[in-house]
Amino acid sequence: MKKIFLPLLFVLLPSVLSAATGATELEGSFKLGPSIILITILCLFVLVGIFFRAKDTTDFYAAGRGISRVGSGMAIASNWMSAASFLGMAALMYGTGYHGLSYVVGWTGGYVLLLVLMASQIRKYGKYTAADFIGDRYYSQSLRAVGAIIAILISISYCVGQFGGIGLMFKWVMGIPYGWSVVIGGTVVLAYTLISGMLGVTKNMQIQYVIIIISFLIPLFILTFKFDYFWLLPQIGYGAVVSDIVTGIPLSETQQLVNSLGHEFAMVPAPEYVMPWDPATGQTFYQWIAISFSLMVGTAGLPHVIQRFYVVPKASDARWSVVWGLFFICILYWSAPVYAAFGKVLSANPEVGRLAKDAIVVYTAQLGNVHPLIVGLLAAGGVSAAFSTVSGLLVAGASAFAHDLYVKTINPDASPKKQLMFARMGTILMAAIVTAIALAKLALIAQLVAVAFSLAGCTIFPLFLLGIWWSGSNRQGATAGLIAGGLVSLIALTYFIAGKTGTTLPAHDFISYWLGAWYFGIIGAPLAIITHIIVARLTPETPIEIRKFLIEKVHAQ
Amino acid sequence: MESQQNDYHISFFKPTTEIARLNRNIVVILVCIWTLAIFGFQIALKVFEKPTPEPAYLAYEQVWDQVRSGNAAEEDLQVFAQVSLSVLGKNFIDPVYRTALDNGLSWALNNLAGPEKGPLLKEQVTEFEKLRAGIENITDPEYVNAKKELASLSAPLLGLSEMDVRTSLISIELSSSMMDILSQESKEAIPGAMSLYLIHPQSFLTDGRILGFPFHYFYTAIFLLVLFVGLCWLYCVRTDHRNALLGIKD
Repeated sequence: MKKIFLPLLFVLLPSVLSAATGATELEGSFKLGPSIILITILCLFVLVGIFFRAKDTTDFYAAGRGISRVGSGMAIASNWMSAASFLGMAALMYGTGYHGLSYVVGWTGGYVLLLVLMASQIRKYGKYTAADFIGDRYYSQSLRAVGAIIAILISISYCVGQFGGIGLMFKWVMGIPYGWSVVIGGTVVLAYTLISGMLGVTKNMQIQYVIIIISFLIPLFILTFKFDYFWLLPQIGYGAVVSDIVTGIPLSETQQLVNSLGHEFAMVPAPEYVMPWDPATGQTFYQWIAISFSLMVGTAGLPHVIQRFYVVPKASDARWSVVWGLFFICILYWSAPVYAAFGKVLSANPEVGRLAKDAIVVYTAQLGNVHPLIVGLLAAGGVSAAFSTVSGLLVAGASAFAHDLYVKTINPDASPKKQLMFARMGTILMAAIVTAIALAKLALIAQLVAVAFSLAGCTIFPLFLLGIWWSGSNRQGATAGLIAGGLVSLIALTYFIAGKTGTTLPAHDFISYWLGAWYFGIIGAPLAIITHIIVARLTPETPIEIRKFLIEKVHAQ
Repeated sequence: MESQQNDYHISFFKPTTEIARLNRNIVVILVCIWTLAIFGFQIALKVFEKPTPEPAYLAYEQVWDQVRSGNAAEEDLQVFAQVSLSVLGKNFIDPVYRTALDNGLSWALNNLAGPEKGPLLKEQVTEFEKLRAGIENITDPEYVNAKKELASLSAPLLGLSEMDVRTSLISIELSSSMMDILSQESKEAIPGAMSLYLIHPQSFLTDGRILGFPFHYFYTAIFLLVLFVGLCWLYCVRTDHRNALLGIKD
């Protein structure tokens, strides 16, 4: 591999360095240095995929079996850390302060539920996709098809936020309008997925994790050092920044430190940033609780997360990979608020204007006078985060389309060639749909991704939770629960879309508040579970073969 | 097998085997800790919170009646303008409130300048607005100088020193078209803006400090994540230990 990368490095380095000085504007024109970094990293992923490609299908499905628990944890973290984590969380905290922490808590706390309630049991159940589990556990081809459709919808919803992030970063790097950025970025990610989607996925995920986390952390050390905070551990050092935001930073204490636009590192007191559900942020206590709850149950119901436990060799590996995965995820989640806090101070002067919140990570580094090449690496990290997730989601969605829908329910005799064709068609179709929705720019990245979590929390989570832990859970109960959760989801999304198109529906404000698009899981998930239990108790019990399987295979050891 | 007598029924809450019972116990304990740690703390924050005004709000309350009725003394106008700048310096202000506060600030400054300096000041604000509309970059030296000049002219009138962070905000918030009168709309909007942006829900949980953080912020942003990793680790260790004791192999 050295043979390829060293000459590449020598060719690219001079042009990268010479281009570095041209990238100091927040927005603006094409940035050569960051572009080269971005392209190099994407090429690296594809090359790693080729070098570590799976030899056959068994290798592909068992990709994780040859790697350690730590490596598997890194793969979980890479798979998890999307544009929503890399760009979106800091954006939310920058815009709404303490309220944004509901996303941090929701997206990490869910792993505790996932571990104690599902991880090893899912591994012991031994299916490859969420739809497979649903179809087998509830002995229903129809439910398998519905599960596959839900998995596709969740993948699409999740991908929309990622495409938004890719579009924003391509816009920043290339200096072109957002619409074109989404189209170009979407095309690149589609090509990337089609080329590398079936290659050395797990190895790539470990490398992606390293790139993502390094690109995210380096600017933090620089910012905390530059602005005289405790820089050895920026995740703790920024505590003083948060307190400074509350009390304000007088000019006399700025030691002539300025941002890249010439404004002093000073600000008037802004306690609304730190205080919980401050009225000035427009957010409430209910929304905080609802978001964190919905994200947590959604985490335990996301098909592409659940699927990761099928490919570890043992149940104990499934458990420990969650611990390591969560730890690696937390490194990013402890760090994201640092960008938001510095962004708050560095853009405090109203003259900076309204910055696109979703790009605040990059803007903060720029405003903090971080070297343009490092900012370029940061942007490339953001794109990598989105790519690593999107490629997995597109493949997962395409698998649901080709394997669970087409082969399992429509044409069981389909040849492998035809299956592959359907998988590719599914990937392209999904990318086209996602691009079209992303162009509408419906909400912030993290909020769009949160929709997928609520959807998963209302539909898949109850099916897995009850399916694993209660033998009384039967097909009729599952169907009823799905209908209840699906209805809540439908209502919430209908009101959200109506609101975006300027249509007012009955009780619009009431429904939009209590069933917000990014937190309807707080109503939908419990309702689906209760409906499932009631209907299951009133209808014939689960066949004995399934109960026996649960006892002897899933829970006996 | 115990479960066979039970016709292969399984329920999390009614475990039929020793392993299931042990597993249920640890899961219940961990989920209880998890629930209390997340939601219990947020509920405590809500229960103990009380609206706490910033010092700027208290100052505003003392002068607003006089300002609104047009009977404000020079000091009152200065306090009002300073408080307006304290709000305008916050990142995200509702555009309606920003307009009202810009009106209040511009009008107060014009009154403080008096008939002698007022027209000259208004002329300078107009010139600055023209310059601002024409620049491509806010780092333009001519623009930066004009901004500083206008600020140094206005700051003494508002009772602000050059080292006050609010001084740097004056030039960009002044509006020549709003200097003559404090409109009725602004009079109605300003109290809402002041209470919205200057009163905050606080309690002993938000006032304490730990490692430089406000306590509640540290708890949610740092400690909870450590706790989640810790709970997961504990579950794995306990499960491995239990399996070893019972001779269970994966």
